[in-house]
Amino acid sequence: MAPSRGLLFRLRPSIQSIKSQCRRYSQFVAAATDPTLKARVFISQTTNPYLNLSIEHYLLQKTPADSTVLFLYANSPCVVIGRNQNPWIEVNLGVLRNEKLDVKLVRRRSGGGTVFHDEGNVNYSVICPTSAFNRDKHAEMVVRALKSLGAEKARVNERHDIVMDKGDKEGILKPFKVSGSAYKLTRLRSLHHGTCLLSSPNLQSISKYLRAPAKPFIKARGVDSVSSPITNVGVEISKFREAVASEFRSMYGIRPEASDSFLLVDEKAREVPEIAQGLDELLSDDWIYGQTPQFTFSTENTTTTADEPLTSAWPTILRECEIGFTAKHGRLTEVSVDFKGRVDEPSKLTLRKKLSYISSGPVEMKQMKSPLINRELHKINDWEEVLPPFSGTDGEPDVDASPGKTMNRLFGVGNYEPSVYVG
Amino acid sequence: MASIARSLRPAASRFVASSSRRAPSWRISPFQVRSFSASGAAQAKKYTKDHEWIELSEDKKTGYIGISEYAAHALGDVVYVELPTTPMEVKAGDAIGAVESVKSASDINSPISGTIVAVNELLEERPGTINKGPEDESSAGGWVAKVEVDETGVKDLDDLMDAAAYKEFTAEE
Repeated sequence: MAPSRGLLFRLRPSIQSIKSQCRRYSQFVAAATDPTLKARVFISQTTNPYLNLSIEHYLLQKTPADSTVLFLYANSPCVVIGRNQNPWIEVNLGVLRNEKLDVKLVRRRSGGGTVFHDEGNVNYSVICPTSAFNRDKHAEMVVRALKSLGAEKARVNERHDIVMDKGDKEGILKPFKVSGSAYKLTRLRSLHHGTCLLSSPNLQSISKYLRAPAKPFIKARGVDSVSSPITNVGVEISKFREAVASEFRSMYGIRPEASDSFLLVDEKAREVPEIAQGLDELLSDDWIYGQTPQFTFSTENTTTTADEPLTSAWPTILRECEIGFTAKHGRLTEVSVDFKGRVDEPSKLTLRKKLSYISSGPVEMKQMKSPLINRELHKINDWEEVLPPFSGTDGEPDVDASPGKTMNRLFGVGNYEPSVYVG
Repeated sequence: MASIARSLRPAASRFVASSSRRAPSWRISPFQVRSFSASGAAQAKKYTKDHEWIELSEDKKTGYIGISEYAAHALGDVVYVELPTTPMEVKAGDAIGAVESVKSASDINSPISGTIVAVNELLEERPGTINKGPEDESSAGGWVAKVEVDETGVKDLDDLMDAAAYKEFTAEE
């Protein structure tokens, strides 16, 4: 680092020295809505992803229309899917729900694809008048900040992501993504938020959370993720925050001594009614799962190239059983099970009418509606209850030939818990 | 937003999001687009500052709502459209849907008060239709919703811009 830069750093007020912490939520509200401040910086001290997104949404809705806001936050481990994405395509829910590392599933309000957050990833969010909105402007601001910290190779690519060239395993220089962006545009105010991987200890395990076993069998409306090789920038979080805040200050003319333009926000922000309401919405199953665009699952879909061989996703022994369903708002609307040659039933057996239990012989269930229709997919804890194993040659259930068990694996059931706020 | 989103119906097919900021070759310049629906002579089309349009039928009882050519072009390739469940009572400015394009979620707001009685289901399967003919209310067009209008809704029209004023407005942006 150049000596002159060191001097600059000393002249800047350090974030740690800022005393204007909101002790009461009313102070935060007053600062967020103060019409005299044309630009301001908020730094979050909570790592709850749902709360941070709710504070951010509050700032989008409530800060004065002509002002520009920078909000910096980091989240505890979570997978964040885009507004119009499908968790069963984007996320390995089984791994997420059953791992020691408590990784939350979050759906954000902005568009775009799925990202992983942890405390080594700092999120920057810039809210500005829609008339001044531009997809690259603030990514470029972050690039300048990264360069000032020595990451000379950082640049914005054509997908509005920030990448850095780095040698891959063979030593060939390739762009690695360090930051991804997404946007929410409203009438007067627009939001651009982006991740920045600085020092995540979880880089190696991220792909395991994001590899959804059901993906090859799903055809869906909605938005795809584009996966990219990622890397850490390798700078300190506090230095990154200061550098981004500093670039923001010079862009928007905040005087370095204007301490009222810098505010720390903590979990007391939950007391703001609008933030509490936004938090409830983000935590609700209706939002996390119910916002999923319509999709169909079929063991016969299998058109996409799978990450793993299809035979392991849907074992050969189960090929005689075809399962399919359509889900709207995350609820099953049509279910069909075709047992082909294994039973004496007509080949297409719709669970809406009847259900055949193989292990105990075909059972007519005409009186009973399919136990699956209208069920919320994420709450089906055990598919084996309705799809028991085939019977083997000895007449006993064949545990290796259980469509239900395979469905359990594809949809990551078990250990489902509703999302709750934990401060 | 989540509360609004809950009342929105997902609709779109799957595209790889490709950012396209250049003007697509099919793009017709604004204000040339004029479609003719069976409803006969329609009232003059009006525009909001949010870049929605509304065109009332001759009897002023119903109208079509959509996003403007300018907006469709500015948004880029639309990959997903959220449509409202009908019927849905709305006030002017209420969100009736949202579009996603180039990682951006943008609200579609109702230009006037009324009741949304139908949505353009074509957008569920082919969201790109909204780019091709955003101001086209024909069955193959990219209109978003059909609204039943009451007196308040008709009055709301006074606050909106006509085509010439909107053209001027977008030239300033």
